[in-house]
Parts: sequence; C-alpha cells; structure tokens
Amino acid sequence: MALTEDRPLALPSGESDDGYTPTGVFTRPTAETGVRSWFTTVDHKKIGIMYGAAAIFFLMIGGVEALLIRMQLWAPRGSLLSANLYNQVYTMHGTTMVFLVVMPIGAAFANYLIPLQIGARDVAFPRINAFSFWAFLFGGIFINTSWLMGGGADGGWFMYAPNSGVIFSPTHGIDFWNLGLIITGIASLTGAVNLIVTVLNMRAPGMTLMRMPIFTWMAMVSQFLLLFAIPVLTSAQVLLMLDRGFHANFFNVAKGANPLLWEHLFWIFGHPEVYILILPSFGIISEVVPVFSRKPLFGYPFVVFSGAAIGFVGWGVWAHHMFASGIGPISVTTFSLTTMFIAVPTGVKILNWTATMWGGKLKFTSPMLFSIGLVTMFTIGGLSGVMHSVAPMDSQQTDTYFIVAHFHYVLFGGAFFGFMGAFYFYWPKAFGYMLNESLGKANFWLMLLGFNLTFAPMHVLGLQGMSRRIYTYDAGYGFEFWNKVATIGAFTLASSVGLFVFNIIYSKVKAKNLPPVGPDPWDGRTIEWMVPSPTPVYNFDPIPTVTRVDDFWYRKYGETKDGKLVRIASTAEVAQQRTDGKGIHLPSPSYWPLVLAFGLPIVAYGIIFSLWLALIGGIIVVAGIYGWVMEPPDDPDAAHDDHGPEAHASDGGDAAVPDSAEAVKEVETVG
Amino acid sequence: MQRLPKIVRILAVFSFTVVTVLFAALIVNSFQNAGKPLTTLVPQGPSAESIQQLLIPVTSIAFVVFIGVLGAAVFISWKFRERRDADPDEFPAQVHGKTTLEIGWTILPALILAGIAVGTVMTLINLNREEPNSINVQVAGQQWWWQYKYDVNNDGNYDGPEDITTATEMVIPAGKPVQVTTTSNDVIHSFWIPGLNGKKDAVPGLYSPLKLQADEPGVFRGQCTEFCGLSHANMRMLVRAVSTSDYDAWVKNQLKDHGADPTDPTALAGKKVWQSLCAQCHVINGINDLKMKETPPPLVSGVAPNLTHLMTRGTFAGSIFNLYEPVSSDGQALPMGDVAAAGDPGAALTGGKVDTANVNRVTLEAWLRNAPALKPMYPQGGRGMPNLNLTEEQIDQLVAFLETLN
Repeated sequence: MALTEDRPLALPSGESDDGYTPTGVFTRPTAETGVRSWFTTVDHKKIGIMYGAAAIFFLMIGGVEALLIRMQLWAPRGSLLSANLYNQVYTMHGTTMVFLVVMPIGAAFANYLIPLQIGARDVAFPRINAFSFWAFLFGGIFINTSWLMGGGADGGWFMYAPNSGVIFSPTHGIDFWNLGLIITGIASLTGAVNLIVTVLNMRAPGMTLMRMPIFTWMAMVSQFLLLFAIPVLTSAQVLLMLDRGFHANFFNVAKGANPLLWEHLFWIFGHPEVYILILPSFGIISEVVPVFSRKPLFGYPFVVFSGAAIGFVGWGVWAHHMFASGIGPISVTTFSLTTMFIAVPTGVKILNWTATMWGGKLKFTSPMLFSIGLVTMFTIGGLSGVMHSVAPMDSQQTDTYFIVAHFHYVLFGGAFFGFMGAFYFYWPKAFGYMLNESLGKANFWLMLLGFNLTFAPMHVLGLQGMSRRIYTYDAGYGFEFWNKVATIGAFTLASSVGLFVFNIIYSKVKAKNLPPVGPDPWDGRTIEWMVPSPTPVYNFDPIPTVTRVDDFWYRKYGETKDGKLVRIASTAEVAQQRTDGKGIHLPSPSYWPLVLAFGLPIVAYGIIFSLWLALIGGIIVVAGIYGWVMEPPDDPDAAHDDHGPEAHASDGGDAAVPDSAEAVKEVETVG
Repeated sequence: MQRLPKIVRILAVFSFTVVTVLFAALIVNSFQNAGKPLTTLVPQGPSAESIQQLLIPVTSIAFVVFIGVLGAAVFISWKFRERRDADPDEFPAQVHGKTTLEIGWTILPALILAGIAVGTVMTLINLNREEPNSINVQVAGQQWWWQYKYDVNNDGNYDGPEDITTATEMVIPAGKPVQVTTTSNDVIHSFWIPGLNGKKDAVPGLYSPLKLQADEPGVFRGQCTEFCGLSHANMRMLVRAVSTSDYDAWVKNQLKDHGADPTDPTALAGKKVWQSLCAQCHVINGINDLKMKETPPPLVSGVAPNLTHLMTRGTFAGSIFNLYEPVSSDGQALPMGDVAAAGDPGAALTGGKVDTANVNRVTLEAWLRNAPALKPMYPQGGRGMPNLNLTEEQIDQLVAFLETLN
C-alpha cells in the first residue's frame, strides 16, 4: 500500500483541479457512448463485443484463406496458388482460425458472460481487460500485416524447427507469426489471470463454486489452461526469436540442438490449447440444452468435474501429436494410453447432454439446433480422436487428411457450432434484438451441410493416402472426386457464414418495428437473464443473492417433491428493471491500456526491421505503463455522490463477497 | 419472408438427406481402394497388416458408438419434441441426474477403452520387435528427395566401400524384413509407405527405426508426410519389392561404378558436360565420389542425388516424374506428372540394357532445361537444382550420357 500513498502525481484526494491530469497527457476519458467510448472503455461487455467483432473480422480473413486452399485443391495440379503462396496461406489459415478466431470468440463470451453469470459489475481488473483486447487485436493485425511486407509465415501453424530457421525460411513471415503470437499470448495470459481472479473473488452473495453456471465453470477451466499453457508457447517462441533474429542456436541441429525440443514445447501448449478452444463451447451448450429442454442439466456435478478432469488430464497427452516423431516405444505407449483415458470425461459430457434432452420438452430454436449439431458432430471428432490414440493406427493416419477431418470436426463441429449457438442465444442479451429464427435455422442447416460436405470426405481422402499440407496432388491417386466435393462444401460453408452476417443486418433493420426484447426471451435459467436487454452498463441493480444452481429459474418456478414444476412468479416480477444506475461505482475508462498495447507491435516491428524502432515502441510501452500506474483506478472527478443501493440497500449488502466496484478499487491499487 | 419457415423445412430435409447419403457413400468408398496407390486400407506387408488388424475392430466400435449417439440424438429429438398443441405451462419431469447411471456410463467407456488399450500395446510390441536377419537401410530425407544407404556387409557402417548409396527409389527383396533407420540432412521429413507400414519422421540428428516388409513383389508408393518446406508436396518415394534373385543381382550391379568413358561420342561429350557442371553437386561413383568426400558441396542438404545407377530407377526428381514412360493403351504418353503408374526400368534394374526407346526424354530434357520450373525449389539457397542454362546440344549430350548409367 505504500506504493499508492507515495505516488506523487495521483490525486486520490478527489479535489478537482480543472485541466489538470495526473500524467499531463490525456484528459481522463469520460464518454460512455459514441465511437470514442469504445477505444477507452473498460466495460467487460463492450470489450466482449469487440472481441467478438474482431473475431468475425478475422474469420473472414481465415475463411478466404480456406477458400483459396480449397480452390487450389479442386483438381490435380491446381495452379491458382504457387507452392510458396500455398504454404503461406495454409499456415496463416491455421494460425488465424486458432489464435484469432476461436480463441477470441471464447474470450468474447467469457468476457461478456462471466461477470453476468456470477453477478458481478465487471471483471477484477477492468483496465487489464481492455489491455488484453487491444493487445490481441494489435497482435492479430500485426501478424496479418506480413501479407503486405514480404509474405506470410510459411512453416505451418505448428512451425516445427529447424524448418522455421532463417536458412529455411529467409523471409520475415515467420518473424511476424512469432512476434505476433507472443503479443496475443500476452493478451491471453493477462486475460486468463483477470478472469480467474474474477470468478474466484467476485461472485455474488451465495454464488458458491458449485452454484456457478456451467459456462462460467468451463470458461474458468480453460482460463487455467491458458494460464499454464501460454507461457510454454511464449518461451518456445522467445527461443525461436533469438534463433532467427540474434543468431542463437536453440534449434540449430549443426550446433547440437534436438529439434524435438520445439515439438515438445509446442504441443505441451498445443494440446491444452485444444481444450482451451472447446471447453467454453461445451459450457455454452450446457446452458442452451437445459433451457430448450425445459429441464435442468443432467448431472451438474459430473459435467463440472468431467470438465475439470479434462483440464488436468489434458496436460498428460501432448506427445500423441508426436507418435511418428521417433520418441521411442515407451513414450508412445504411455501417451497412447493417457490419450485413450481422456476420452472418458469427454464421453461423459456427451451422454449428459443427451440425458438432459431425454424426457424434456424440446424447442428447436437456432441455439438448440447448433447445440444438437455440436453433440453429434463433435462425437465424430471425438471418436476419430480415439482412433488416433491407438498409436499404431495413428502412424498411418497422422499428417494425412484424416487428421484434418478429425480436428475440424472437433474445432468446427465442436467449438464453432457451440459458438454459433451462443451467438443466437445471447444476441438479444447483448444487443436488445433477436436474430431472425427462420434465418437462424436456415443458417444451421446450411452450415451443417457445408461443414459435412467439406470435412467428411477428408476422412476417406486421408485413409486413402492424401497427405496434409500439400499444395498439389497428381492425377491417378484417386483424390479427385472427394476434393471436388470438399471444395463445393467449403463454398456452402462460406455461404452459411454469409447468411449469418445477413441475419445480423436483416434482424437489426426489422427490430425497429418490433417491441423491445425483454430481459428473458428464452425463459432462461441463469442470472444473466435477470438483467434488462441489452445489459445496462452496471449489470445488476441490485446485486442478487444466489441460493442455488439455475437461481433465476427457481425465482420463476418452484419444484414439488416429485419433480413437478409450478410457476411461482412471472418473469416481469423477478427480472430487474432498468435503473439510472446512480450511485453505482463503475471503473472509469482509460486511454492507457490502448497506449500500452499499441507499443507492443511497434516493438515487434522494431525487432524485425530496426532496433531503433523497437526502442520507440519500448518508450511507448514504458509511457503506457507509467501513465497507467499513475492514473487512479477510479476517476476522482467521476460522480459517485452516494453509496446508496448496493452498499446499503441491496439484498446482498452484508455478504462476505464485496461488490465488484469496491473489489476493483482495492485489487487494482495494490497491483 | 413469409414463406421462409417452409423453405427452412425443405432445406433441413435436403441437408439431412445429403449428409446421410454422403456418409453412406464415404463408407462404401472406403472399401474401394483399387487405383489408389497410397491407400492405408490395403496392407501389403506384415506391419501394415497388424495395424489393419487393430483398425477393423476399433473403427467398428467407433462406428457403433457414433450410430448410437446419432440415433439417440435423432430419436430423442423426435420423441420429446414440443408438440404444437402442447400446454405451455406443462413442464417435463425435472430430473437433476442419476448417480448410478452416471457412474455406469463413466465405467463402460473406460472398459471398452481398456480393451482397445490391450490390443494397442500388443501391436506396439509387435511393431517394435526387431526381426532377425533384416536388411539394414538408412533413409535420409533432404529437401526434396530421399537418399538410401544399404549396409550390405552388415558391419554397422553405411558408408563402406561395399555399401550402396542410392536415391529416390528403394529396392527390397519381397518377403524379407528390412530394418529402416530414418534420419534427415536438413529439416524434419517423414518416411511413409502406407502399403507396408505407418510413417516415421526423419529428424536431423536422430535415428529412428521402422520395419518394412513386402509380401509380394511390386511397387509401393509413398509421400513425405511431415511438412518440409516449399516442395513438400513433391517429395515422394517409391519402394520396389523384387524377387530375392533380382535383389541380389541389383545389389551386385549397384556395387559397380561408372568411371569408364562411354563409347558413344555424344555420350562422351555429355560426360564432359556432366563433369564440368553437374559434378559440383551430384556424384557418380568412379568419376567424382572420392573428390566429393574431400570437398563436399556447399549445400544446405549436403548432397544431391547419387546418379551412378540413374537408369535402374523408374522415376526421378523426388519420384515425381517417370524416367521411363508407361505408354497408355492408345499409344499416347501419359501427361507429365501423372505418375500413379510408376515407370518401369525393365532389365536395367539389375544392370541390363537400358531401353532407350522407352526413356521419358520429354520430361528429362525439360528438367535439364529448367528444373525449378518443373518443381519449386530454392537453388539460390543451396536447396534444389538450379537452372543451368544449358544449350539444346548440351542437353542432348547429357541425356545420351545419363542413358548409359545402368
């Protein structure tokens, strides 16, 4: 605390000195609406929305790359892309989809939903949250600027050494990839710390861990995975940076390096990464399926613990990516068995979702369709995963199109289908209007069709010998037909994404003539459906006290002893009204996260092109940190005249868990 | 937009039908492996066979589980759908879970997986057991072709005077076990002959074992399966399994060198060209092999393919082009690059006369004219063959010389 008391420039006294700013650069931003507010916001909802928007933007880039790949492979000896360009395109497709699309969509929902699901006002460190987003965005843009500055990375998203060395890849593509992912890694790491602290410290009164919504649980597990996995990748990438930029020899075989070092480090990150990508989606459908089955989730504790089990066992399976690499029969056997074992908790989840639907009263809304799509499509990916866990079979299948099919069924049929459902499910909560249901269903069926046409044939292509990462194939191998089907499927898939974008615009236009959507359009179960739609900036007023799992549901319905449900209150009676939010502490907007994040790509450009530029970037970073530290977490000028509702009048006012704004203040001044 | 729900219903039926037909077609097609030289589903040697023995039951179990889950999802969706006339205030029974059921479906998959684990471990032991009296071959990947060294005298050294160094194609006796050791001279590659065994990465600095054995004589194709840079797609390999007597004759021929001058004057001129240009990177035993050992070329990969017995091979340039033209039934040459049918060296394989009438001169000359145009390479970085700007006369002379290399 001494730190905060000795600060020379902070004005904790609250005395207003017009025109005076703590660091003398910026006037403290105050806008809550308008374009500028988005750049300075620390509101977890705005940040979540920006994560989602950025992810959809990168989805377009990654999607175009996917279509280029598919057009190149339409027929033998395709000539659309050169070998060099193809290698860049497929590398950037994988990198973009993993790091800049699926991860940030997970971050979007985690940011938006976790505080709402646990009854908090914001995340624990709102400015760090803003920084995470900007660092991710700048990192992602930085990687993609490589297209304009000599070409993208050409080593595959796994970037195996020594092919990633300067000798074998003399252009700067890999440097962009490497440094850009270090930046997005910083974003993920700070985001993970932030969300973990938020979940552990900022739950509403009565919200014990075992009363948390499943999405919050799964998102938290995946944040823990990020917390431990990202540093492994970053370490490996720093070694690669030193090799490429500063003549180090970490991966130089001529100097005695073992190239398997990179493989191990990459996959120690890379396998938990799979669960980082999919667990949030599992969480989403664990919310959606009960809502539209009109039944509670079957076996809540099993779903929670199987998710946590995946989080632990996920650390012991990485070498199954390396069965063919020559790690020796003992290692192969060990990792083969651990990989089989991880199928058990995953299978439990599938059966629990199925059992949740059993005996329910199923409403086939768009989110529900995508959820059922996930259950069936992910099952295919899970089962082909079991096939790979059998190491001898994997030695035939690895690095063929069978693997491409497998992980697209996991990450597209699994993670992305779940997120599509989440978009439809939470759209009214975030934007105050529903997406058109008919278009949503058309979206689902078109996506299911395109997805299967694209990726199902790859199973057979792989089993019949088509290698991955080849820019061309010859006639006479029997690859022609299914490649054509896959290319047709890819365009179908792209049109389904286009339909989704159309639906967003169409529904927005139509919404003008419709009554505003209420807080609870789906008859939801968890407390985020208590608050008005779109969510007010302060989230809850007052903070609710939670008494059980699916707390909001049981405010509306009572359950008799024999499991019969009776309505005890209407939604209007138990949902919260929009208030003016007066008297609620909210963290103040700030420029500094943006400044600090902006410095990072400048440093990265500097490492590639000129260390002087890195110095300038470094100065921006230091200035950003300085300004940040000197800036009080709450604007002393901001009006919070009284501490009325939540401190004294709320029904949770006397609970042990502090309200979020207080927590923000305390935690941040320490940090 | 009024008719949209109806369109959606039609789309749903269409989509569901197409996907069902697609899955059925894929299952049927996975049994149709004729004309698919890289298929993993037709084992042609004991190692691939033991993998197949595992694949069939495991895939069957996976298939049954998938049908179960899909069937359950479809059945439940149909049976428990909300009816049109349903009372909106009527709720289904609120079941929160059933511990015995949960424990049951935790244990059941664990038991199934335990069974699969037993089979897996047994197969792994089988695949890693060293066969007695194996032929030892060291396989080294480099951008973007494969080198094979035979330890003919079994002294543990692959570079002795009685050992063989060859490239692109690997010749083995059918019915005999071959112990391959994979390694690499530059980046990571992966050696894969799907008909004979799974793949093994070729990692620089590491030496990894892989058993190969072909039941019958034949040609077994492969493809590098670890991304290895620019021309990864063009890095293929070929195993030619021959009878034991042919194999012995092949070995005997490979041990000969080609130091003597050819009698044909064009070929002799070609040899001169070869010595002044090609010999900087390539080796022909008897001409420059000793010199190359003293001053190895400044290549990232270390070497270019040994050409001593070029014409005993059916393919060249990383096995992407046929050295001998398989003439199709209508007498037309196959389009360049369509190499699913491997070129057949005929009698030249064991040192017999080269069938010059059948040599794929068109492609060979095109290659000599401008190799990087036919196969993406980085010759300026010491990785791959450069465009040597040869004259047409030099090309003719070189081809005449190369045709003597049986």
